[in-house]
Amino acid sequence: MQRDTPDNANPTILNVSQLPSRAQKRSTARVGSDSKYDSVVLSSPYWSDASSDDGQEAREEAADDALDEQEIYDLISTVSDPEHPHTLGELNVVRLPDIHLTPPRDNPRGLANVLVELTPTINHCSLATVIGLAVRVRLEQALPPNYRIDIRMKEGSHAQDDQVNKQLADKERVAAALENDTLGGVVDNMLKTCVL
Amino acid sequence: MPPIITPIPPFQPDLYQRAWASIPHPSLPLIATPHATSVTIFSLATLSKHSVLTGGHARSVRTAAWQPGMSAGRLRLVTGSFDATAGLWSYNSDKDKKGLEKEVKFGEGEGDEEEEEEDWEFNLVLEGHENEVKSIAFSPTGQYLATSSRDKSVWIWEDVGDGAGPGEEDDGGEWETVAVLNEHEGDVKAVAWCPDVEGRVGMSGRYSSDVLASASYDNTVRIWREDSDGEWVCVAVLEGHEATVWGLQWEPRPREGRFPRLLTFSADKTVRIWTLKVEEAEEEEGMTNNPWGGIPNTMRTELKEEWECTDVFPRVHSRDVYSATWSKDTGMVASAGSDGIIALYAEDATPKEDVDMESATNAAAPATSRWKVLAAVEDGHGPYEINHITWCKRFDPGTERKGEEEMLVTTGDDGVVRPWQVRIP
Repeated sequence: MQRDTPDNANPTILNVSQLPSRAQKRSTARVGSDSKYDSVVLSSPYWSDASSDDGQEAREEAADDALDEQEIYDLISTVSDPEHPHTLGELNVVRLPDIHLTPPRDNPRGLANVLVELTPTINHCSLATVIGLAVRVRLEQALPPNYRIDIRMKEGSHAQDDQVNKQLADKERVAAALENDTLGGVVDNMLKTCVL
Repeated sequence: MPPIITPIPPFQPDLYQRAWASIPHPSLPLIATPHATSVTIFSLATLSKHSVLTGGHARSVRTAAWQPGMSAGRLRLVTGSFDATAGLWSYNSDKDKKGLEKEVKFGEGEGDEEEEEEDWEFNLVLEGHENEVKSIAFSPTGQYLATSSRDKSVWIWEDVGDGAGPGEEDDGGEWETVAVLNEHEGDVKAVAWCPDVEGRVGMSGRYSSDVLASASYDNTVRIWREDSDGEWVCVAVLEGHEATVWGLQWEPRPREGRFPRLLTFSADKTVRIWTLKVEEAEEEEGMTNNPWGGIPNTMRTELKEEWECTDVFPRVHSRDVYSATWSKDTGMVASAGSDGIIALYAEDATPKEDVDMESATNAAAPATSRWKVLAAVEDGHGPYEINHITWCKRFDPGTERKGEEEMLVTTGDDGVVRPWQVRIP
C-alpha cells in the first residue's frame, strides 16, 4: 500500500469552514469535539429498550434519538485519506447531500438504512475500496445494530464502480479483509483521526 | 391457521461475537457453531455447550462439516477458515460408543474447560487454497470432501487412508487432491453434494453418481460431475440470480424418483428452485449410442445438462438472503438473512404439469410461484443480521418426540444460536 507518488498528487482541499456542520446552521457556540458525539455515543440505543412499546410516546422518543444525515456526516468526514494528510471531508470524498438516511418505518425499533455515496478524488483511484471499507467500519462501530449500511461509489465517479460496490456490500469479504493485517492496519490508521 | 414459529430459549452460553453458521451432526444430538477462530459444539439435548475446538486456525472459522460414516464413539469435524486452510479434527470419547451418546444426551462428562478441550484433537491441515475457505461439504458416503474459496476454485479431496475405512484411523486419514475446478469467475461461496437418493443415478449413466453444485459471487451456480475418464467437468451453468449466490441446498427427498431439484438464495433478495430438464430424445440417444465412441474430449460438448429456474419464491426479504434450508420430513423451506426475517414456505401440491405451460413462455423465470409463504417472523435476532438457518431434530426436554420433531436453528451476528419451535396446526 506504500508508494512514492500518490495517485492524485494535487487534490482540492476544502477549508474547515467550508465543511457542512450543525454549528453553522444553528449559529450557536461551537460544540467542542469532546462532547460532539455524546448524543450518539452515550444515548441508550432505543432498539434495546424493551419497555418502549407504548405507542406514541415511544415513537416521539425514537424520533428524538434518531440520527440525521449531519450526524452521519460528522462520523465519517473525519476519517483520514489513506494517502493524503487530510480527512475525507476536506477532500470532498464524503459529501453531506450524498448521505441518504431511511429511518425505521412503522416500528421505531425496526431496521434503518444508511446509504453513503463516495466521490473518490480522481477517476482511477485505486484506493476506493480501502476508503469505502474504512467508512463502512466507522459506521458499523458507531451506529446501533439496527442500522444497515450501504456504501457505494457515486455514479460515474470511479472506473470500477460495480466491482468496488459489490465488494463493499459483501459482508463475508469485508470481514475477511479486516482480518488481513495489512489492510486492517491501513483502516485503523485512517480511523485514528475520528473522535470517539 | 398458519404455522406458529416460537422461540425456544437460546443455546448457552451466548458467544457475544458474530457466529457464522450452526451445522447439525447427521445423527447425534450435536450442533457445531463457528465463531472467531473457534468452533463451539452445543448439545441438542441440554441446549448447552458440549465442547470447544480452539487453536487450529489463525483467522476466523467460516464453516464446518461433520464427516459421515464415522465409527461409533468417534466424531470428525472439518473446519474451513479465512486463513485459507481446512482443518480436520477428531474427538475420541474415552468411554465406549454408548458413552458418547450418553455424554451428549445427558451432558455428562462436562468437566472443567481444560479437560473438554483436550477431547478434540487437531489432526491435519488441508492446504492449497490461496484465499479464505468459505464452504466445505462431504459427499454422501464421506469419500469426497469439497472445499471452496475466494480464490474462485473448488477443490475435491479424497480420503485415501490405508484401507482402514473412514473413521478407523486416529490421525485424520490421508487426503489427496482429486480435482481443482476453476471455472467460476468469482469467490465460490458454497458447495453442496447431491444426497444419495433414488433418482440420482438413473439420470445419466455416462457420469458417476456423485454430483456437486457450487454457488458464486459471479451470480451463477455450477453443476459438476465425474466423467468416465475420472475427470470432473462442469455440466451446467445456472444463470438467473442478479447478485451473489450465497448458497444452495439439494432437495432432500425428491418425489417419484425424480432427480433432486436445487434451492438457491442470493444477495438479489430471492430464493429460487432449479430443475434438471429431461429431454426424451436425449434419453433415447443415450441408450442407442455409446457417447464415448472415440470422440475426443473437446468434442463432448453435447454432454451438458440443461437446468432451468422453475420457481422464484414470493418476495419476503428486503436484503441479502444469507441462508435457506429444505426439510426432508415436511418439504418446507425456511429462509433468513440480513433483514432479520425468518420466513417459512411450503410448495403447492397441485400437479406440476398445470404450471409448465406458463413457465415455458419465460425461460428466465416462471411468472407465478408454486410456493406459499406460511409464516414470517421479524427481528429474529433483534436488530442483528441472521447468517444461517437450518432444520434440526429436537432432543431437548421440551419435546415429546425426541429425535423426530423438527425445529429451526438460527445463528446471528449477535452470537446467539436460537432454536425455534415450528407448530403446524
